[in-house]
Amino acid sequence: MSDFNPTILAFCCNWCSYAGADLAGVSRLQMPPNVHVIRVMCSASVKPEYVFKALSQGIDGVLVLGCHIGDCHYLTGNHRTAKRFPLAQKILRNIGIDERRLRLDWVSAAEGEKFQQVITEFVAEIKKLGPNPLREVRL
Amino acid sequence: MSDKVVVIGGGIAGIQAALDLGDMGFEVHLVERTPSIGGHMAQLDKTFPTNDCSMCILSPKMIMCADHPNIVLHTYSELDGVEGDFPRFKVVIREKARYIDVSRCTGCGDCIAKCPVKVPSEFEEGLTIRKAIYLPFPQAVPRKVTIDASQCRMITQKKCGVCKKVCKAGAVDYEQEDKLVEIDASAIIVATGFEVMDVSALQQFGFGICKDVVTSIQFERILCASGPTSGHLKRPSDGEEPKSLAFIQCVGSRDAKSHAYCSSVCCMYATKESILAGEHCPGIKSTIFYMDMRAVGKGFQEFVSRAQRSYGVRYVHSRPAKLQPGKDGKGVLISYEKWGPGGEPVTEEFDMAVLCPALEPRSNAEMSSKLGLRVDSDGFLCSSDLSFPVDSTRKGVFVCGFSSAPMDIPDTVSQASSVAARAAELISGGGC
Amino acid sequence: MLMPRIGVFICHCGHNIASVVDVEKVVEFARGLPNVAFASHNLYSCSEEGLGAIRKSIEDNKLDRVVVAACTPRTHEPLFRRNCERAGVNKYLFEFVNIREHCSWIHAKEPEAATRKAMNLVAMGVAKAGLLEPQSEGESNVIPAALVIGGGIAGLAAASSLVSQGIETHLVEKQAALGGMLNEIPVVGPEMIESKDLIENYKRALECSPKAHVHLSSRVSSLSGFIGNFEATIQGGRCDEKVKVGAIIVATGGREFVPNGEYGYGSLPGVMTQLELERRLARGEIPKKVVMIQCVGSRQPGRELCSRVCCNASIKNAIRILDADPNAEASILHRDIMSYGTAAERAYKDASEKGAKFYRYGLEKIPSVKRKNGGLSVEFYDETLDELVALDADTVVLSTPILPVEDVKEIAKMLKVPVDKYGFFLEAHVKLRPVEFATEGIFICGSARWPSSVSECIAQGLAAAAKASIPIREGKVVIEPITAYSDPEKCIACGNCVLACPYEAIEIVLMDGKRKARVNEAKCKGCGNCVAACHNDAMEQKGFDTRQLAAMIDALIKNALEVSQ
Repeated sequence: MSDFNPTILAFCCNWCSYAGADLAGVSRLQMPPNVHVIRVMCSASVKPEYVFKALSQGIDGVLVLGCHIGDCHYLTGNHRTAKRFPLAQKILRNIGIDERRLRLDWVSAAEGEKFQQVITEFVAEIKKLGPNPLREVRL
Repeated sequence: MSDKVVVIGGGIAGIQAALDLGDMGFEVHLVERTPSIGGHMAQLDKTFPTNDCSMCILSPKMIMCADHPNIVLHTYSELDGVEGDFPRFKVVIREKARYIDVSRCTGCGDCIAKCPVKVPSEFEEGLTIRKAIYLPFPQAVPRKVTIDASQCRMITQKKCGVCKKVCKAGAVDYEQEDKLVEIDASAIIVATGFEVMDVSALQQFGFGICKDVVTSIQFERILCASGPTSGHLKRPSDGEEPKSLAFIQCVGSRDAKSHAYCSSVCCMYATKESILAGEHCPGIKSTIFYMDMRAVGKGFQEFVSRAQRSYGVRYVHSRPAKLQPGKDGKGVLISYEKWGPGGEPVTEEFDMAVLCPALEPRSNAEMSSKLGLRVDSDGFLCSSDLSFPVDSTRKGVFVCGFSSAPMDIPDTVSQASSVAARAAELISGGGC
Repeated sequence: MLMPRIGVFICHCGHNIASVVDVEKVVEFARGLPNVAFASHNLYSCSEEGLGAIRKSIEDNKLDRVVVAACTPRTHEPLFRRNCERAGVNKYLFEFVNIREHCSWIHAKEPEAATRKAMNLVAMGVAKAGLLEPQSEGESNVIPAALVIGGGIAGLAAASSLVSQGIETHLVEKQAALGGMLNEIPVVGPEMIESKDLIENYKRALECSPKAHVHLSSRVSSLSGFIGNFEATIQGGRCDEKVKVGAIIVATGGREFVPNGEYGYGSLPGVMTQLELERRLARGEIPKKVVMIQCVGSRQPGRELCSRVCCNASIKNAIRILDADPNAEASILHRDIMSYGTAAERAYKDASEKGAKFYRYGLEKIPSVKRKNGGLSVEFYDETLDELVALDADTVVLSTPILPVEDVKEIAKMLKVPVDKYGFFLEAHVKLRPVEFATEGIFICGSARWPSSVSECIAQGLAAAAKASIPIREGKVVIEPITAYSDPEKCIACGNCVLACPYEAIEIVLMDGKRKARVNEAKCKGCGNCVAACHNDAMEQKGFDTRQLAAMIDALIKNALEVSQ
């Protein structure tokens, strides 16, 4: 368990969270190397199917990062993401996947430090939860 | 037929002005004295306060200039003369002979490898050599070699000729001559930037006397991965990694005997260099000797705090009186007066020292005489009316960047775009 | 069907990537990925040499897709796309993998893990690249007009430049007169220019041009649209006015921070801010003994910023006081004097020669202001002299920072642009794009971006005008082909996508007698909201379709999970 290195996927929106991740990089803020970013235009374009696919096939954690409420580049996108999220967590609970393996957060383009914080916290939490049990099933 | 604008100077100021004017539909002639555009920004390792890799953010702009349908690059060229007045200037550009047919040169570098002549490299601030036939730096735009006539054995003594023999493209032409190009321009932009002051004149700072005293621009080259030490921080005397580093601010700036003005960027770049030194050599002890810590821009104060907190950089409010070589000519002994509680003269030893010299406006005297512009008491090009800061004293001629006043990159970029606006306004006959 | 031939290029970025990530190992790894026909590395991919090497490899190896693993796509994607086009590969058959900002720079002490992660990210990029489809760009018109929000000196310079260039411009100012903060500062330093002359010089272009529309006592109450096609509602006259513009310049300026009782402000008579001093000087009330305290409310924990202009403002006012009354006493208590450049440094010297005294204090022992004999006394610890000093004064002036205007968050929200922790607008790139927002068509200048001197505000206003004029002069903008489209075979016309779209770009129409969703490409902004809202997998977004994203997830699973154990 102590040498469990989680594999985590993060969907980051182009305007806020991806830019915030870039800023964290430019500022050389160090963080654990477990998170792999997929760039999307808006957090609201992340289909729940992607989350279910990732978690059911062994990915240890999924992050969805968007703009702060009220600041979505596409006006209302992140409101939808926020509404969709509890439903996705409920489905995960019902099919026996720990819902804490999915996290939604808001990171703005100016928040390099927040990005670092979210990544560091989430990796620590996933480490505590241990490897996704569905890994074994898949292999 | 689009209106033509001549931009003199191919550093970041000239590049930005050219790009904006080109995007606005003008035909731009960008004139650069050295073989490549890029200016001093190309020599920097990183830029404050984000520590972005300088070449990484500059290079795409350089390439955009070369690719732009409306921009004509005249590198290794100078302003020969100007006649006429706004809106019809007759600008004569002297394209100096490179002794290379640029339409054939592929920038492959075979000639450079074989050239027997070694010359101190200007780009590397004399820390390493280049050849008589050379590319100033790997990311040069245009990527064409140049023969330095004053150093070339063939051109000066009719001996050698190796480069011509090895050039598979047949691009070498020892008979080439300077070419004069005439341009009917509606506006002229002066963006000639700065040069670092020759600090050997200020003997008390030990440059040229102490081996381990370098200038800040030399230090940038030492830090840079593509520089003379491949990015390894080594001191010149013995190649050892320094454990202690001193930065001396205001060398020749804010000095009645030298330059009265403040060069504006040195407090910040010294902070940056001290952080980079800390990244290259963890645990290195850096000290910055300063008069006023001018961290006035966005994120600058936080940058200084970061240097203190995360890299242990010590800021000492003092102006050192003398720098001398340490034992066996290694290291530097710095004598300064400690202000504040227990103020007394102190001598401290450092492994290496970096001088932050005054930055002098390059070519302003030449621009002033060729274009008939007024300079102020510090040598910077004046504006006609303080309401119009980028207009020179001659209608149709605009000034931006360091040639107008000491300023950092964001302010230079803003000024460069602002001259594009002013030139466009005047050319379209706007205003009343 | 022909299998794709992907070329993978890993960048060293000097030592930015290569000092942490084992680039050659990643290249070797990439060669083994599905559909990869060629892989190599470059020192600086974005240099002429790097770009040329990529083009040559495309030609030599007949590559039809390109993956570059380097820095962030947010800066160089257009450059590499154009490079592909030059080599005959469709611009949109290109995928950028970020192994610098998202890898080497943030895992600097874990080179092995960073190299593994880089491999995973490259595998994901290659998987997506294999499923990309060639796209062509659309065009959208640009309304030949501009909106400038804020009529202070920055906004004035921007608006006057735009109309002088022949561009229809709406200038909206919330106060009854143009000039902003300059109206409260009759003389600006360090050059000692009369503000009213400065304002007049820029108003002139607006007054004599029929292209200028100045809206005083007005605000922009709502804004919608995108570059080339913004619609703004200006509230202020008898009725709201709707205007359509192609570009917007934000010049909302700043306000002087008012102290919260520090140094006796509000309780001791004679303690005032710099703007309050300006009012007194304008009325001819020259102090006999003035002490100015710099950095009040700035350069301290919680508000680290240096407000850039206050030292020079104090020096200017000290000179004005000493010129008016050579027997007056003027002292400036500071923690550094920020007289950067030429003119400001000259003014500092000038003030000293006229008798102004400068004292350095430290943050650990700040000055205190008390009543004394009907006047005031300022006590402080002088760092240079290393002793406690007490100065008598009839006036104590507190130099406080310029902060963003109170309603900045509303404005930012309306424009959908970011602000930093202080509320200053966040530009696209702090070094090379200081007057642009990341959002196309919107620009920033003046103290709304960062406290700036008058000449800096003017330069930025003009710069913003130059930038804003570019799309207007072009007359059109290119539509990036990341728009959504619906598959009529799968669409059940449930209408979820119509509701999800923030731009009303989707309608349900009749196609072959059946009701189906249809996306209006010109209105579609490529957000992908409809894609996630569609329950039948009918809606897709070009460049981000389901198969591509699923392939990326599969690639991560294959490379990260199967290898690590």
